[in-house]
Amino acid sequence: MANTLSLYRTVKRLGIPDERIILMLADDMACNTRNKYPAQVFNNENHRLNLYGDNVEVDYRGYEVTVENFLRVLTGRHETAVPRSKRLLSDEGSHILLYMTGHGGDEFLKFQDSEELQSHDLADAVKQMKEKHRFKELLIMVDTCQAATLFNQFQSPGVLAIGSSMKGENSYSHHLDSDVGVSVVDRFTYYTLAFFERLNIYDNASLSSLFSSYNPSLLMSTAYYRKDLYKRRLEEVPVTNFFGSVMETIHTDAAYKALSRRNSGRFEDEMSLDQSVHHIERRMLIKVNDGDEIHDINPEGEEGACKCPWSTFRNKFQKAENVDSLVNYGLVAMIPLLVISTWLVQ
Amino acid sequence: MEKLKKKIGSFSFWNWVIASIIFRLILIYFPKNLNLSSRPEVSTPLTSFRRLAEGYWLKQSSMSSYAGSMYHGSPLLLSLLGPLTVKRIEGQPNHLLYSLVSVIADVVSAMLIRATGQNLRLAYLRSLESLDLVKQIDVSEFLFSGDIAALIYLCNPFTIVACVGLSTSPIENMAVILCLYGACSRLIPLAAFGWVIATHLSLYPAILIIPVIFLLGCGPDSPPRKLFLQRHQQKEVLNQSKLPPGFSWGPIIHFAFWAFLWSVYVLVLCGISLKQFGGLWEMFKSTYGFILTVEDLSPNIGVLWYFFAEVFEFFRNFFLIVFHVNILFMILPLAIRLRHRPCYLAFVYVAICSMLKSYPSVGDSALYLGLLGWFVNELADMQFSLFLFCGYVGVSLLSPVMHNLWIWRGTGNANFYFTTAMVYACLQIVLVVEGVSAVLNHDRKLRILITGKPQDAKS
Repeated sequence: MANTLSLYRTVKRLGIPDERIILMLADDMACNTRNKYPAQVFNNENHRLNLYGDNVEVDYRGYEVTVENFLRVLTGRHETAVPRSKRLLSDEGSHILLYMTGHGGDEFLKFQDSEELQSHDLADAVKQMKEKHRFKELLIMVDTCQAATLFNQFQSPGVLAIGSSMKGENSYSHHLDSDVGVSVVDRFTYYTLAFFERLNIYDNASLSSLFSSYNPSLLMSTAYYRKDLYKRRLEEVPVTNFFGSVMETIHTDAAYKALSRRNSGRFEDEMSLDQSVHHIERRMLIKVNDGDEIHDINPEGEEGACKCPWSTFRNKFQKAENVDSLVNYGLVAMIPLLVISTWLVQ
Repeated sequence: MEKLKKKIGSFSFWNWVIASIIFRLILIYFPKNLNLSSRPEVSTPLTSFRRLAEGYWLKQSSMSSYAGSMYHGSPLLLSLLGPLTVKRIEGQPNHLLYSLVSVIADVVSAMLIRATGQNLRLAYLRSLESLDLVKQIDVSEFLFSGDIAALIYLCNPFTIVACVGLSTSPIENMAVILCLYGACSRLIPLAAFGWVIATHLSLYPAILIIPVIFLLGCGPDSPPRKLFLQRHQQKEVLNQSKLPPGFSWGPIIHFAFWAFLWSVYVLVLCGISLKQFGGLWEMFKSTYGFILTVEDLSPNIGVLWYFFAEVFEFFRNFFLIVFHVNILFMILPLAIRLRHRPCYLAFVYVAICSMLKSYPSVGDSALYLGLLGWFVNELADMQFSLFLFCGYVGVSLLSPVMHNLWIWRGTGNANFYFTTAMVYACLQIVLVVEGVSAVLNHDRKLRILITGKPQDAKS
C-alpha cells in the first residue's frame, strides 16, 4: 500500500490531477487494528511523510478491488450506475501509466489474497483497449516477484512495460520499519521514487534515463523492460509524458496593443491548433486505411479557422477607422463653428 | 491713482498666475503625479483618469467603451483625450500631455472667470451709479472681483490637486465657466455651447439653465428692481433710460435655438461613434443612468455612498428619488429669491450640486470656491468666514488621514471617513446659507441707504 501511495503522491506532485488518477487500494493497512499509527502509512522508517494524510482520493478501496473491477476499469465496460470518478475516461490521445504492486508470480498477480490476475487476461484487456482507442501509449510498471512474466502475452502496439524482476527472481523490500513491524517500501518502487524526487516538473529526463537508473545490484533483481511494441525511441520520450502532466506554455512578450490585433488573431489560431493535435491525429488514425482523404481534411480545417476571424477583423477595423475619423473631424470642426457663430452674432 | 492701483494690481495678478502654473508643472514632474489620481477625493467613477484610459483601450479593441462598467463619461471626451492617455514621451513623466491639457483648461477657466468678474463688477458699478449711491458707498475700496476670483480658482489647493490628479474636472469646470461667461457677455452661441457641453459631460449643470435664462433676460447681477423704482419714486423723475431693462424674451429664444443646435450636433456625433455598440440609449444608460442610479458605492467626500451601502433594496428607488429631489426642490425657491442676481444664483446652484451630487470630488468644490470670488464685495459681511476657512483646511487635512486609517491601516472604519464627509457637507451648507443671507443683507443695506429708514422685514 505504501508503494502505491508513494507513487500516487509523486505523480500528483508532477502535475496529474485527481480526476485523472484511478487509485485502487486494498486498504488493509491504515486502519488495521494492529497498526500502531492508526490511519497513517509511511514509506520510510523515519516516518517523515504520512502518505495517507490529506488530499488522497481513493477510487476503489477494500472489497471493491477485484480482478473484475480492474478489468472493467481498463476496458471501460461498466454498469450504468458507476460514477465518472471510477471510470477510466481516456481517449485515443491519452498516455496511460498503469502501476501494479503486491504479490505475484509466474504470469499472475495476486488480488486480495484470494484472486489472481493472469497475464493473458491482462493482455486481452489491453488489446480491447487498443481496439476501442482508449490509449495512445501505455506504460505498465509492475513491482512484484517475477513481474516481467506478467507482460509476456502483450501484442498491442504502443505498450511499454517494465517489471521489477524477471522470471525466477524475487523482488525484495527495501528496509524494515522496526517500529511498525513490517517492511515499508519495496526496492524497485524505492529507486523509482528516488529518481523522481530528484526530478522537477520541467526537467526533460527521458524514459531511458529512468530505466537505466535501476541498478541490479541495488535492486537485488533485474528490472526488465519490454519495448518491442513501443515505436518511439526511449531517449526521446520525457518521463513526464506518463508520470506527470506538463502543459505547453507559449510565452509572449508583447503587451496588449491596439494595432497588434492582427497578430493576436493568428496567435489564437495557433493555440487552437496545438490543442487540437489529437483531433487531427484521430482523423489520421481512423482513416489509416483510406489514405486519400486525410490531406483534404487537415488543410481545410486550418484555413477555415484562419480565414474567418481575419476577415471579420479586417472589416471591423475599417469600419472603426471610418467612424473614429468622422467623430474626430466633427469634434475639431466644433471649435471653428463656435468661433464663427459667436463672431457673427456679436 | 486708480491707474497706478490697477497697474500694481494687474502686475501681481499675472505674477500669481505664472506662479500657479509653474507650481502645477513642478507637481506634474513628481513621480506618478504624486499618486493623486488614486485618491478618492480627487478621482470619482466619473472623473477618474484610469477609467478614461480603460474606456479608450476598450474602444481601440473594438468593444463598447462602456463595457464592464468602467468608463461612464462622454464618448467625445474619449475621442479627444483618449489618445493622450497612451502617448508617452521619452524621458518625460507618463501623462505629461494630459496634465498639460488640464493645466491649459485651468488657465482658460481662470481667464474666463476674470473676464466675467470684470463684467460683473462693471455692471455693479453701473447699477450703483443709476441708484445714485456712488457717494455713499466707497467705490474705490471695491476689490477687483474678477482678478480675485481668477486667482482663487488658480491657486486653490483643490484645483491644483484636481489638475495634477488627472481628473476630468478641469474640463467640466471649463465648460460651466464658459457657459456663464457667454451668458454674462451676451454671447449666446457660446453660452449655449458651454451649457450643452457641461450638461453632456456631467448631468448636473443642466440646472444652470435657470441662471442663464435670467442672465440673458435681465442682465448680470444687480440690486432688486424694486430699489430702482423706489429711487426714482423718490426723485419723482421717471427717467426710463436709467432703469435696468425688464425681462426680454428675445435672447432666450435665441439661446434655445442655439442650445438645440449644439445638442443635436453633440448627440449626432455621439450616435455616430456609438453606432455599433447600442447607440445613444446605451450612452444615456451608462452616463446619466449611472449618475442617477448611484451604482458605484466606492467612498468619496460625498454623503450618498454610505447611505446607499446600507439601504434595503426595497427602498432603494425611493431614496434615490429623495436624494435627487433634494437638489431639485431647492431650485425654485432660490430662483424666486435671487432672480435679480443670476450669477450668484449660479454660484449657489453649483455649490448645492457639488455637495449633493452622486459622486462629488474636490474638483467640483474648486469650481464654486472660484465663483465665490466674484462676490467678495457683496459677501464682505459674511459671518463665519474664518470658521469656514478653518473648517475647509481641517477637513482637507483630516479626510485623507481617515481614509488611510480605514483602508490601509485597518485601525479605523468607514465611520471615520464618513464623519469627515459629513463635516464637509455641513461646512458647505453653512457656506451656502451664510452666503445667501449675506447677499440678501447686502441688498437690504442698499435699500436702507436709498430709503433712508429701515423697512419692515419684507423683501
